[in-house]
Amino acid sequence: MRKVALRGLLARKTRLALTALAVALGVTLISGTYVFTDTINRSFDQIFTVSFSKTDVVVSPDDDLGGDDGTTIPLTSDLLRKIRAVDGVDVAEGSISDINGVVLGKDDKPVSSGAPMFIASLQGRVFEALTVADGRLPTAAGEVALDKGTADREGFDLGDRIAVQGKAPKQEFKLVGTTTIAGAESLGGAAFATMTLSEAQRMTGKAGRFDLISIAADDGVDPAALTARLRQVTGPGINVRTGSQQADSASSDIRGGLSILTTALLAFAGISLFVGAFIIFNTFSITVAQRAREFALLRTLGATRRQVLRSVVGEGLTIGVLGSLAGLLLGVLVAKGLKALFSALGIDLPSNGTVLLSRTIIVSLVVGTVVTVLSCIAPALRATRVPPVAALREGVAMPETRSSRLAFPLAVALTGLGVALLVLGLFVVSGSTAALSLTGGGAGAVFLGVALLSPRLVGPLAGVVGAPLQRAFGLTGRLARENSVRQPGRTATTAAALMVGVALVCFASIFAAGAKQTIAEAVDNGLRGQLILQNQAGFGAFTAEAGEAVAKEPGVAVVSPLRGGQTRVDGVQGKQRIVGIDPATFERVYRVQIREGGAEAIRSLKPGQALVSQDYADDNGVGVGDELNVQNPRRETLKWQVTGIVKDKGGLVGPLVVPNAVLADEFSVTNDQLTFVELDQGVDAAAVKQRIDALFSRDFPQAEARTAEQFKSDQRDQINQLLGLIYALLALSVIVSLFGIVNTLVLSITERTRELGMLRAIGTSRKQVKQMIRLEAVITALIGGILGLVLGVGLAVLVTRAIDDFSLSFPVATLVAVLIASGVAGVLAAIMPARRAARLDVLEALAYE
Amino acid sequence: MIVSATDVTRRYGTGEATVDALRGVSVAFPPGQFTAIMGPSGSGKSTLMHILAGLDRPTEGSVVIDGTEIVGLDDAALTQLRRDKLGFIFQSFNLLPVLTAEENILLPLSIAGRKPDKAWVDTLIATVGLGDRLTHRPAELSGGQQQRVAVARALASRPAVVFADEPTGNLDSKTSDEVLQLLRRSVDEFGQTIVMVTHDPESAKIADRLLVLSDGLLAEDSAGVAPTPAAGAAPTADAGA
Repeated sequence: MRKVALRGLLARKTRLALTALAVALGVTLISGTYVFTDTINRSFDQIFTVSFSKTDVVVSPDDDLGGDDGTTIPLTSDLLRKIRAVDGVDVAEGSISDINGVVLGKDDKPVSSGAPMFIASLQGRVFEALTVADGRLPTAAGEVALDKGTADREGFDLGDRIAVQGKAPKQEFKLVGTTTIAGAESLGGAAFATMTLSEAQRMTGKAGRFDLISIAADDGVDPAALTARLRQVTGPGINVRTGSQQADSASSDIRGGLSILTTALLAFAGISLFVGAFIIFNTFSITVAQRAREFALLRTLGATRRQVLRSVVGEGLTIGVLGSLAGLLLGVLVAKGLKALFSALGIDLPSNGTVLLSRTIIVSLVVGTVVTVLSCIAPALRATRVPPVAALREGVAMPETRSSRLAFPLAVALTGLGVALLVLGLFVVSGSTAALSLTGGGAGAVFLGVALLSPRLVGPLAGVVGAPLQRAFGLTGRLARENSVRQPGRTATTAAALMVGVALVCFASIFAAGAKQTIAEAVDNGLRGQLILQNQAGFGAFTAEAGEAVAKEPGVAVVSPLRGGQTRVDGVQGKQRIVGIDPATFERVYRVQIREGGAEAIRSLKPGQALVSQDYADDNGVGVGDELNVQNPRRETLKWQVTGIVKDKGGLVGPLVVPNAVLADEFSVTNDQLTFVELDQGVDAAAVKQRIDALFSRDFPQAEARTAEQFKSDQRDQINQLLGLIYALLALSVIVSLFGIVNTLVLSITERTRELGMLRAIGTSRKQVKQMIRLEAVITALIGGILGLVLGVGLAVLVTRAIDDFSLSFPVATLVAVLIASGVAGVLAAIMPARRAARLDVLEALAYE
Repeated sequence: MIVSATDVTRRYGTGEATVDALRGVSVAFPPGQFTAIMGPSGSGKSTLMHILAGLDRPTEGSVVIDGTEIVGLDDAALTQLRRDKLGFIFQSFNLLPVLTAEENILLPLSIAGRKPDKAWVDTLIATVGLGDRLTHRPAELSGGQQQRVAVARALASRPAVVFADEPTGNLDSKTSDEVLQLLRRSVDEFGQTIVMVTHDPESAKIADRLLVLSDGLLAEDSAGVAPTPAAGAAPTADAGA
């Protein structure tokens, strides 16, 4: 029997390859994701291990409750003095590593638009982890060293003048050296401008303060014991770790950051495998039906049902293992592709070698194989139900099984369950992980349910799609339409595979359109000022000095900065965002509704008071006059009295609002997140903007001034970029579903060989045969497209309902394009099968059994 | 002559495995004649018909259909020829299951993109006697009815010649007879030329002329050589009906 299974496979190489590919692509993404992230992680591990290899103990601020600008509790020189006095401390040095820097390239533009740019100091004699690649380390004011990656990319030579801006305005430094760390020339495309300590402190506005204190213990002192003593002097909110603990912690921060990416990529791999499962199920269903007589013959020769089952499942197992192996290997290549993709986006992640963990191999092989075997079990069971007597009959139909009779109620139940889970996940359950899994599971159930329902929809849909084709193409259109509904289950499953990808594409495009619309409305409704100042990267904080300088420009009436930080509130789960405003000027530049607390609520906001958003008030039962117990980064509890409830449709303001002074004093947040500018009345806005642009270019290249229109289009661009990435990942599952169309067509053509022979004999041209196959593919693809479109729209409406103040907007042109693209995809999928059908030898085809 | 073959040979395979299916056959078919081709399995009768119909290419020799030399024509030209000049009836009916009986009858015209001649179609439908079953699909018709549809389909485009490959091979004797009578009538009433391959001597009796092939050679031709008892004349066949 094993021979039967293997022979069966080898006899159908194309089908084998296409089916294995359906699994392989999903597995490719799994293995690619793991290899990619494992490689990055290991590279960072090495970098951090080297970075802290010469350090026994590291003192650093806890960044649990940081500001939006990355600031935390400052480590003061006073603390350094105390640390130096601790028993067992040999050497202690403070250093700077500040993420709010800008390094300019030769074109006077920042060297990075996505990856961070650091202003760093030397770590101090014994602790230095940097290796000089070229030149030397800076020793005097006015000197800088750059990481080799950035220097090479920008074409800098030693001796060049490098412009750097931090908290302080732009200033030029002389490039004296290039550096590597742990052999890496670049850390994720980040730029590192390293200077002497005092220069770094001056540039980052941290005179007398540090971001990190490195400690070498006296000989014979256990670093672990030393950390305990050091904690006595540092107090809460400051981490004291051994060098290796610090390296681990930094590594796990990176892992945490990457895990979002890993999860997202794996989710897309899951979608692709889900689609692949449809293809495998369908292919096996068709081949089992076509081989009914073969199974019957085996049964008459004495094969048991179990043996028949084993032969089909064995076939699935072989395909699963082969496909997974191929996917695993392809994944290694894809990991390199992903790195290239991220490099192209300006995120040059370090990757030394390729890390293929046994976990990657096991997960890839197991997931791919299990998905394949599970998908072929139902068809395999059906194969066992072929009665032996069928061997003697002409034209065997597969016996109807209990499962197919139950399909309809099951489909309805599954769809209902899916919708219920979605509603539960979106509207009832809070807590992002549970909600997300409920929503994801619900969507999966809806997809399956609709896929099971779709055999009943194929007829009418084929009519809708086929009617115009029939009118346009006549007989071939008519035959294509009739052929597509001959085996509705087959067409339905094939279309459903495409439906999944199309639905998610539609969902993403509607969601993105809604997000753009929401932002645009928020800007239109909320913004009263004429200009918005922001970080030139489009996100992140920028130095407050930029806004202060703008305020001095003639024609500028008001400059009102917005800052951000995070806190924890007693009795409320998770971190809460605090937005800092300038109460005196805020209302002149931005409009929010004051729901409670009186018209003066914003203007009169003082330290010790806070406004809360309407949503926060509703969710946590907070009202005006209540007191909030809020934590600052030092783990001290602050008491804020709620003096007002506001509603900002733009979502910019809230959930907690305090004066900027509080953020500065308690959370060390001094950089601006967004700054709104109101101009004098009647002034030439364009001229003022030009002056501000000039000012920024001279002193603050980190900042840029945008008009409302520009701001909206920036946001649109960012959303579009993300959308492009999502489309690219969804393309994988769409490709898998196209293989499904190819597979189904090839199998159907085989079944209809004699018909094709007859058609050719009575005068059908090769062109007409090709057209017929092509149109059948188009009909199948369009059924998938329509189902996907409807599901995608439904999902988007449901999901966006769950988001407060989300404006739903339908990108009609995109949706139409998606539908047309599905049709085109059908044409592409039909190329090979159509050619095959047209090339059939008429005589052989007529003699085909 | 509607169809004529001259010195047609057909060799399959190469080297040791070479099989000579036809070893030099010359035969011509005048219009309005019903010819039966008989012969034992492997005699080359099917090969001859396939070559006459342009479905297979002779190794040597020439085939002319309605004035056109078809040997050497490319696929497109052959397709056009089959579309315009030939009709086919198969042993296994070969109707399209997705189309109704009427649509199957009109299929060759649809393929050619021609408007059906209403009067002719009505005549055909009346002749095959399927007036009440026209909207049925093949699966709802009996074998005899299906083959009658196939006959009508073959005649629909008024081809120069109809090739019938064992048209009664899948039918019982009663329905076989109906189908044969139908073919006979199309010759008598519409002047249709028919070439039919059969292994059944009873079926062959309805033809005007009998060709017998043996080992790739024409062994008998009731039109050329002395009449043999196997060659039933039309009146005889009518009498048998």
